[in-house]
Amino acid sequence: MKVVITGTGAVCAAGAEPADILASVMSGATSIRPIELWDTASWPTHVAGEIPNFNARAMVDDRKLHKLIRRTDLVGLYAAGRAIGESGIVAHRDTLDDAARAAYSDRTGVVVGSGGGNFENQYDYFPLMTEAGGDLVAFGRELSNTVNPMWLLRTLPNNVLGHIGIKYGLKGTNACITNHSVGGLLAVIEAYCAVRDGEADRVVAVGHETPIEPQMVLYYHDVGLLASETLRPFDARRDGSQFGEGAGALMVETEGSARERGAKVLGEVLGGGYATEAHGLLAIRADGDGPERAIRHALDEAGLRPADVGMVVAHGNGTRASDSSEAAALLRVFGRDMPPVTGFKWAIGHLIAAAGIVEAVIGLSALRANVVPGIAALRDLDPECAGLAVSPSHQVPRGPVALVLCRGFAGTNAAILVRAAGGEG
Amino acid sequence: MKAKRRVAITGVGLVTPVGNDVETTWSALLAGNSGGAQITLFDASGFATTIAAEVKGFENRLVDDRKLLKFTNRSHRFALEAAEQALIDAGIRPTAQDGHRWGCAVGAGMMTADFADLVQTHRHAASKGEIDTDLLLTDAPANDPLVFCRGQAAEGLALLTRRHGIQGYATSVHTACASGGQAIGTGMKIIRRGYVDRVLVGGFDSMISPIGIGGFCLLSALSMDNATPELASRPFDATRNGFLLGEGAGFLVLEEWELARSRGARIYAELAGDGNSLSSYRITDSPPDGDGPIQSMRQALADAGGSIEDIDYINAHGTSTLMNDRSETAAIRAVFEGEADRIPVSSTKSSMGHLIAAAGAVEGVVCALAIARGEMPVNANLRERDIDCNLNFITGEARRGRVRMTLSNSFGFGGSNSCIVMRHPDLT
Repeated sequence: MKVVITGTGAVCAAGAEPADILASVMSGATSIRPIELWDTASWPTHVAGEIPNFNARAMVDDRKLHKLIRRTDLVGLYAAGRAIGESGIVAHRDTLDDAARAAYSDRTGVVVGSGGGNFENQYDYFPLMTEAGGDLVAFGRELSNTVNPMWLLRTLPNNVLGHIGIKYGLKGTNACITNHSVGGLLAVIEAYCAVRDGEADRVVAVGHETPIEPQMVLYYHDVGLLASETLRPFDARRDGSQFGEGAGALMVETEGSARERGAKVLGEVLGGGYATEAHGLLAIRADGDGPERAIRHALDEAGLRPADVGMVVAHGNGTRASDSSEAAALLRVFGRDMPPVTGFKWAIGHLIAAAGIVEAVIGLSALRANVVPGIAALRDLDPECAGLAVSPSHQVPRGPVALVLCRGFAGTNAAILVRAAGGEG
Repeated sequence: MKAKRRVAITGVGLVTPVGNDVETTWSALLAGNSGGAQITLFDASGFATTIAAEVKGFENRLVDDRKLLKFTNRSHRFALEAAEQALIDAGIRPTAQDGHRWGCAVGAGMMTADFADLVQTHRHAASKGEIDTDLLLTDAPANDPLVFCRGQAAEGLALLTRRHGIQGYATSVHTACASGGQAIGTGMKIIRRGYVDRVLVGGFDSMISPIGIGGFCLLSALSMDNATPELASRPFDATRNGFLLGEGAGFLVLEEWELARSRGARIYAELAGDGNSLSSYRITDSPPDGDGPIQSMRQALADAGGSIEDIDYINAHGTSTLMNDRSETAAIRAVFEGEADRIPVSSTKSSMGHLIAAAGAVEGVVCALAIARGEMPVNANLRERDIDCNLNFITGEARRGRVRMTLSNSFGFGGSNSCIVMRHPDLT
């Protein structure tokens, strides 16, 4: 069973279209800039990949909806809308008769990787807490006069899932994955499996997160995950990651479903792999056990050999431990037969739950353009990562298949293999 | 297509408002005892709703790893305990050799910082009502890595995989009140796909805090029968007026059928079918005609290779809200037609209240026990029939009899509907 890709969407600091984001990354310029969401003058961290001139209306036109959802939901709905729009499934459904239309909706699924709870949302209770002056009885009594009645709905981690369903009338299989950074890429794996295993004929996979909030930045800084200046993946002097924000989406479906409306096929999902290291929330193994097993699992599922992989989109988050263990995994899988390796976090930041899927979308665009974008921030390859085929200059894929890697808290590791559709450049 | 790998349920664990283990909970559910009472976890006397179904007298009896417990919030402690019960019950746990063939799928709650931490942050950095980000830099909770870890959506998963050495597919899901059902379904699918051979699945939640109760009060979702907490949750009753918030955890051990059989495991039931749909109607409601839940139930039945004639017990979502119970009844009627008159139905939320992200997992355990023991819990507090809720509800006493197959519904805010179907092991 072939599972094809017929629509993509992405938004992040580098743009609101996959082509624009790829062009920005290819230019060698980073989109990580001074934080504007709050005054960071006295903060240890000053930069992140914020979406510039963030315009909520440009993300979601329906202003009534803005009261019910948060920034992270706005970007998720935007990216999903782009992928759904490009695929043409809604326009096609509207040509069907009533019964066929209902069946089409029932056979169309939605899988979302979401960041789960944030801290800032709870600040909505601060005015009430001030008013109550520490008295819980007053807190309870004044609650409905002070706090937005829709507060809990705004908090739901599964808002993008529910609102995509309502907006586009999609009613099939669905899931919301709150698995830190691997959520978005795991959504692609789940969407792929749902289509392959016949649970749905087509599924839109989405990942979204806007983690650039003060308390989150402070925690990541305190536990030593943030770079002092620049995110330099696999570089000898790398010292941490940087936040980004945004969302990505992929429409995947059976070949038959795509053919039925003559949809343009952008590529194909060939397989996925997933493994956990079981050492706690923040710890990762030095030997790359988790990513190695995820990659081998994906290759097995796709029926491919390492030599079939044309390029690697690495997680490359810029922390000491993650990059060296990821390199170890890639070196063990590919040995001396290493395909060109790239990564995009140096340019757009770490989008947490959105990271893997946005990078899969950019990676697919790069593959279709037959280029492996250089990692412009890379200066001196860490000797620990020697043998990894990374470069500050652009490279050429050695074939039409990309391996996309993603790693998250709780020692989670996800990998997918995608093939670019042939002959379309 | 290859034959589906079958999935056995070989261990169960519960921490609920009516019991901190399986046996205590089960006796209470058969008797229809309520876990509802005045809230004791904080002073709720100023809130519109002052009642909830709290877990009572809880301590981690089976998990005494102090280092691990430092990283937990209340819901994580429930999860660790219920998961431990399930693994002990199953008589098997991951080893260094097979940990990569074990998976974990959990429905996790949506809360982040505990209220006590929020109070501290408010006092230090937001005393005037707005956050002062410069003061946040010197705020204790905002610089405490333990607060950070406890507030992460994946923390429950991290604790479970670390404690048990689970190294295969491990995931947290959240579709509000459907989370627990979705976690069970995910566990079944990853065994069928061959990704893993055994899975620890479950759900855990605790929202009985000023923020959680406050959030539901703002939506007018909770019963305000503050004088009669034990009667407040009355799913399908004509006078129902909102749900009773519960808390707790439910866990199950799933195993590939032949592996379970070959080690001589006691099999409660076959986890036979899973269905998922989106209502795509409103964020907080299902449509009155049952559209959405109808599809998830039909999918789960088809997935299980069962028919409406095979189902002997339905564990309803039955939240005790006006709209849910009417919509769910319509959906069950639409799917089961005349068979609905035969099939006993109960919502165990009538006893335990609504455990939100844990609900579907706890109710999955209820179905496994119903099959294994031939007993079906009562729908407590159903006194006044609602003409819109005309199903064969179990009232008065628990039913006894052979249960060939069960069906369990879970519907979430956001419109996700999960349905889980189980089968008696002798019929597999």
